[in-house]
Amino acid sequence: MNMNVQKLFRRPLFGIFLLFGIIAVSTSWVCIATVDSQLSEEYESNSRGIAQTIADASVDIILNRDLSALQSLIDQFLEIQGISYIYIVNEDGEFLAHTFVPGIPAEILASDPSNTESVERQLAGADSYVEVGSPILAGVAGTVHIGMDKSVITLKIQQAVGRQMYLISSIFLVGIIAAVLLMNLAAKPVENLLAYAVELARAEQEGEAVRSALLERDDEAGQLARLFLYFSKAADPGKAAEGDRQAPVPGGGA
Amino acid sequence: MNAFTRRKFLQTTLLGGLASPCFGLGSAFGQTNTAGAARASYEGVSDDEILLGTSAAFSGPSRGLGIELYRGAQACFTQVNERGGIRGRRIGLKLYDDGYQPVPSVQNTMELLLRDQVFALFGYVGTPTVTRVLPILKKFQEENVYMFFPFTGAQPQREPPYGEFAFNLRASYREETAGLVENFLGIGRRRIAVFYQADAYGRSGWAGVREALGAHGEQIAGEATYTRGAQYSGSMRRQVEILGRVEPDAVICIGAYGACAAFLRDAVDLGLEVPIANLSFVGSENLLQLITDSVEDSERYSRWLVNSQVVPSYEDESIPVVGEYGELMRRYDPEVPQPLRQPDYVPFEKSFVSLEGFVNARMLVEILDRLGDAPTRARLEEAVFTIRDFDLGIGERISFSEQRRQGMQRLYYTVVDRDRFVPLDDWQARFG
Repeated sequence: MNMNVQKLFRRPLFGIFLLFGIIAVSTSWVCIATVDSQLSEEYESNSRGIAQTIADASVDIILNRDLSALQSLIDQFLEIQGISYIYIVNEDGEFLAHTFVPGIPAEILASDPSNTESVERQLAGADSYVEVGSPILAGVAGTVHIGMDKSVITLKIQQAVGRQMYLISSIFLVGIIAAVLLMNLAAKPVENLLAYAVELARAEQEGEAVRSALLERDDEAGQLARLFLYFSKAADPGKAAEGDRQAPVPGGGA
Repeated sequence: MNAFTRRKFLQTTLLGGLASPCFGLGSAFGQTNTAGAARASYEGVSDDEILLGTSAAFSGPSRGLGIELYRGAQACFTQVNERGGIRGRRIGLKLYDDGYQPVPSVQNTMELLLRDQVFALFGYVGTPTVTRVLPILKKFQEENVYMFFPFTGAQPQREPPYGEFAFNLRASYREETAGLVENFLGIGRRRIAVFYQADAYGRSGWAGVREALGAHGEQIAGEATYTRGAQYSGSMRRQVEILGRVEPDAVICIGAYGACAAFLRDAVDLGLEVPIANLSFVGSENLLQLITDSVEDSERYSRWLVNSQVVPSYEDESIPVVGEYGELMRRYDPEVPQPLRQPDYVPFEKSFVSLEGFVNARMLVEILDRLGDAPTRARLEEAVFTIRDFDLGIGERISFSEQRRQGMQRLYYTVVDRDRFVPLDDWQARFG
């Protein structure tokens, strides 16, 4: 009997699984695309702002002060999450201050020092970076360059998707438990009806009368039970007269 | 102090004002800034004490610098206090540990000025720390807060906009690097590379080398950096490889003893056998000790060392101030007070750093004495400017003025002979 009920709900359960799968995949994809796009834009925008700030603050230092003050300035900005390196070159491309350890990477030494466009960099033995630049005094005093670590963005995406998957999995688990409970609740009258039908068949053979609480119910199960009893008696004219006294009209109320 | 928080800052600021001995009903009325009034009325001077404030490295990889500088200064102050102090006031020193890190040094300075209300700042260690503290001095300029004799030769406390808030005694890094470059060029070593700490200190020295080479039409042959706080146990092989590729004739190091000793070790091990110079800040004895304690044939490494110094050799007790220093170090053997004491650190009987601390303290005592019986911060600068052609007993006359805020200029070069630093007289004979 239970097997019949499980078979009855196998397809709906599979449908629920499928639905959740589609929701999880689609929302994760949207999440990745959105977070990646927005974070990249935000990081780049912030880095450009920081580069501009350093460029503005550098003018006086480059023209009037010792370069240790310039180094001290960029060291403070290096503490901002996502900023991996900062370097400042003068108008001749000479490095005036930088944060590289153990030395300036060859890829950066070979690049155009006055470029202020966004550049993707893959430094040897290191992560991937997005580099932005800002001119100092319209470029006549040099250029500030800031490198953002792309792995920070990847990590943020992983964290966001992870949190979302955790939420969806929790909802999925609660949903499955609720679905099974509700389906069992819905299956109970069907189970009772089946038991009643079997009992009715057995009683028919043995010539006994069958009484069941199902006959009192005011729902589809009650109507079906009464319908079974009606057909049972209709098939046996000898009992029909007796049955007429106790069997309600099929489809009627209890 | 490491656990300093905004809440604690507010608490100390408020409580500092409330706890001030001059804060009372009378002074509170009619004042819009009672904390400021309390500060102004105390200023670190009481009937029996002049309180100075220090933030320095007493822990971490560069602790030897802060500890030795303090020991030298304290030898002088202890003697002065035993003799009754300065016009009846003993000299007190409030110490904080910043571990040679900028953020704690800023927090410590705020504590010293707002809570402890010291008379002046004295004995700070390091460029990245001092550079970040200088703006605070400008902020407190109306209260005449000055920094005396920081253990750094960087330019920011020697030039505008912050130079007017600090007084320096030692020669600058610019002078030290120029001296090293001149001597290397003089013996035909023209390809000079730089190994430096990736911060304001390293950049200051790098800029000095660049400028000195530029004056002779030369450029820095190559450069490599390390992160502040690197220890001797770490590897500097990548830095040696970077510099080795440019085949330098000499390397000038701008760093602290742990990293510079590691660089010397790895350079010689990898066959980069050229003169390796260090600035006075390095902590020469600490550096040499790391080498001698860790390798069997230490002379193979130390023979390439040449360190510039801003004070004469502590072995030459014929120099009056050096003789006095030696005697007082033996007599008092000062220790860093608890809880800043480092149980595993064994101080040197004498060192260039502690001698510099002693000389700094001697100079400050003279300045404080010139303030007379009622010392105030407002008259401090004026007292400093009365120092003209002053003989401190170091073999160099010392003067200060509005335009001259660095007392000494003389440099000394030292090399290692039988595990001791000795004066270098002949560059050609040693490295030619």
